[in-house]
Amino acid sequence: MKLFLSGNEAIAFGLIEAGARFIVGYPGTPSSEVIPTAMEIKKRFGIRGYFDWSVNEKVAFEEATAASYAQIGSAVVMKQVGLNVAMDPFMNTAMTGAPGGLVVVVADDPGPHSSQTEQDSRFLAFFAKIPVLEPSTPQEAYEFSKKALSLSRNFEIPVMIRSTTRVSHSREDIEVGDLADLQIEPHFVKDVDRFAATPHFRLILHKKLNEKIEKIKGLEWFSDFEEYFEGDVLIVTSGVSFAYLYDIVKDNNLENRIKLLRIKMPYPLDVEKLKKAIDKIGSKRIFVIEEGYPILEMQLKTKMPVIEGRLSGLVPNEGELTIDKIGEILSKAGILNQKSYDFVAPPFKRPSLCPGCGHRSAFFAIKQVFRNSAIYTGDIGCYTLGLNLGAVDTVHCMGASVSFAFGFDKVYSLFGKNDQIVVATIGDSTFFHSGIPALIDAVHNNSKLILVILDNTTVAMTGNQTTPANDHNQIGEETKPIEIEGVIKALGVDFLRIRDAYDMDGMIEDLKSAKDFVLNSKSPAVLIFRHPCVYSGEGLKSNVRFKDVYVDENLCTGCKVCVKQFECPSLIFDENKKKVFIDVATCIKCGQCVKSCPFDAIKVEQ
Amino acid sequence: MKLVILGVGGMGAISLSKIIAQMSIIKGLSVRSSEIHGMAKKGGLVEVQMKIGEGKSGVVLQKTADFVLVLDEAYLEYGEAFLKDKSFGLIALTGEDKRWVVENLGDVRFANALVLGKFVKQQDLFTKDDAIKVLKGFKTFEKNRIAFERGLV
Ligand code: SF4
Ligand code: SF4
Repeated sequence: MKLFLSGNEAIAFGLIEAGARFIVGYPGTPSSEVIPTAMEIKKRFGIRGYFDWSVNEKVAFEEATAASYAQIGSAVVMKQVGLNVAMDPFMNTAMTGAPGGLVVVVADDPGPHSSQTEQDSRFLAFFAKIPVLEPSTPQEAYEFSKKALSLSRNFEIPVMIRSTTRVSHSREDIEVGDLADLQIEPHFVKDVDRFAATPHFRLILHKKLNEKIEKIKGLEWFSDFEEYFEGDVLIVTSGVSFAYLYDIVKDNNLENRIKLLRIKMPYPLDVEKLKKAIDKIGSKRIFVIEEGYPILEMQLKTKMPVIEGRLSGLVPNEGELTIDKIGEILSKAGILNQKSYDFVAPPFKRPSLCPGCGHRSAFFAIKQVFRNSAIYTGDIGCYTLGLNLGAVDTVHCMGASVSFAFGFDKVYSLFGKNDQIVVATIGDSTFFHSGIPALIDAVHNNSKLILVILDNTTVAMTGNQTTPANDHNQIGEETKPIEIEGVIKALGVDFLRIRDAYDMDGMIEDLKSAKDFVLNSKSPAVLIFRHPCVYSGEGLKSNVRFKDVYVDENLCTGCKVCVKQFECPSLIFDENKKKVFIDVATCIKCGQCVKSCPFDAIKVEQ
Repeated sequence: MKLVILGVGGMGAISLSKIIAQMSIIKGLSVRSSEIHGMAKKGGLVEVQMKIGEGKSGVVLQKTADFVLVLDEAYLEYGEAFLKDKSFGLIALTGEDKRWVVENLGDVRFANALVLGKFVKQQDLFTKDDAIKVLKGFKTFEKNRIAFERGLV
């Protein structure tokens, strides 16, 4: 069966074909397509297995570890920052091992395109002492995933697949193998010295881990290098950089200038073997070009100080190594004559919440009440774009809106500014992911922060995945919905209001009461502003839709208040007429902008 | 063949790339693509670069593409920057095309098939039948066929 698969889809096919029957994770660009694909495969091929989202990456990692303890082939999927959340079980599972096999799929985001950090997860594999495989194309993502699970099973060690945006989000025609249900039985062999090891036994586990990694280092296929072309400049490379270099050589006929030495497993690296291979080739110049941090380079540098790469200043130390960037590096080194061309950039469009998004209305209401006097702590999701409305001052990591609000409120209250309002905004899925512990702290330790939960009942940013509040999963299987308000009440929050985010007057009223409440108390106020994402199935079906929404040119004064303060991308200022008009191609006729015009120039027709 | 497809979110640039990929697979040609989408879900630029029968990565550099398919006129100039030869290979969906599709077929999304028609007409790797074979797999084959044939004219 030949399919046109993305790198992420290919990983799901590879893992399931190799026998993985437990795959969990948390959505995050560029990793989000692996789990939905696994779920679709399950449905289509009638495969028994558990493939679904977990509440966060740490929980996912632990769930998958247990499944592998029971001898079931498992995998856990996340983006690079997700691995930070899962660090604790990640380090521990490296120690105890994964008897049924555990593949850790991590998609890095060099650039970064949609992340807070630009880290290289291969370093974390190095840190935990687990092998990492680095595919360069979707085809390899498929093959390496199969190899990763078998390596993991054979050595009972977690194995990382490190992808990057350009591998995860590329597509290729791939011949996939047969997928069938497996007769397998879970079989957990109790061994407290291993699975419940006390510190003394951890030392023994560490020793065993060191022995495993030493054996894997020299393993056939994994430690083999691939050689391409016959030039006198040697480039040691891996991952997507290899695919780019290969194309550069072919497109520019550099077969006699460059020789590529491609590495599949950047850790553990058999440096001795690599050095021997390089010495045998006998090139005068040796470069290391890899996406991310200099992990190959640092390992190799100890034995071959002459190599050039990031550490020698040849390769930049931040940013994505795009194909043009590599071309530039080779030109700088005098190997390629890349005509430095003027890169034409696409017309710039500031990212903005979608037209009709309920979050925008919520931010508008918040700003109406608190203006510029509050401190606004934001979080990770579509609603980070509350930035555009001046309603987000900090964005850090998942759940930090609540803990940041706590920190701000505490210091301001303690040191004489008791009336400083702090407003945290967080989405529903992020609240479940890691907002809850911070709210527990706020209730218990008397913080008077205001928390606004922007609830659109989906993980919108990464492609509308389900959340714990949904009563079904992505393939329609029943799940038990967790009610956010139930959680809030159970935590002992004294002030809770729930509103539809399209009810502007109602939200403003609630926010004013919340303000009164926190100024006279020592406990947090929580507001849930709820409206389905307009691009989710439910939103598309049932969102409010007027017959028409338009700007009355006679009333519009051209003050731009709507454009600046409400910031719907469908409101467009006509520079010639000096009036605002509504772009009918993108407007969804929700009528939410009406309240933003001080001159009542925006009209709706029922 | 190097190809770039530019569209805005929701316009089906990715679906169009998948149709062309399917045509390549049927012909036994290798096919690779690389997708870039910005943070803006609706209305933001969606860029698909493709290599058919060549390469290891799906990435296409500016000034190297054989064809550029532009589904939104805002990106004409940007699209042109990808062409190897500026005088040839720019295939655009015009305002008039869009209007024709909406009036005759009722949904702007069939415009993809029209652009596919324009593309098939300009090159000689794929034939009309190659495209029809893939379009047949769609529930809305008839409307897609009408739009496709309009593009061929
Ligand atoms: S706020 Fe009202 S008057 Fe001001 S530019 Fe917008 S539509 Fe015109
Ligand atoms: S009605 Fe107003 S707020 Fe709603 S999408 Fe149209 S312009 Fe934007």
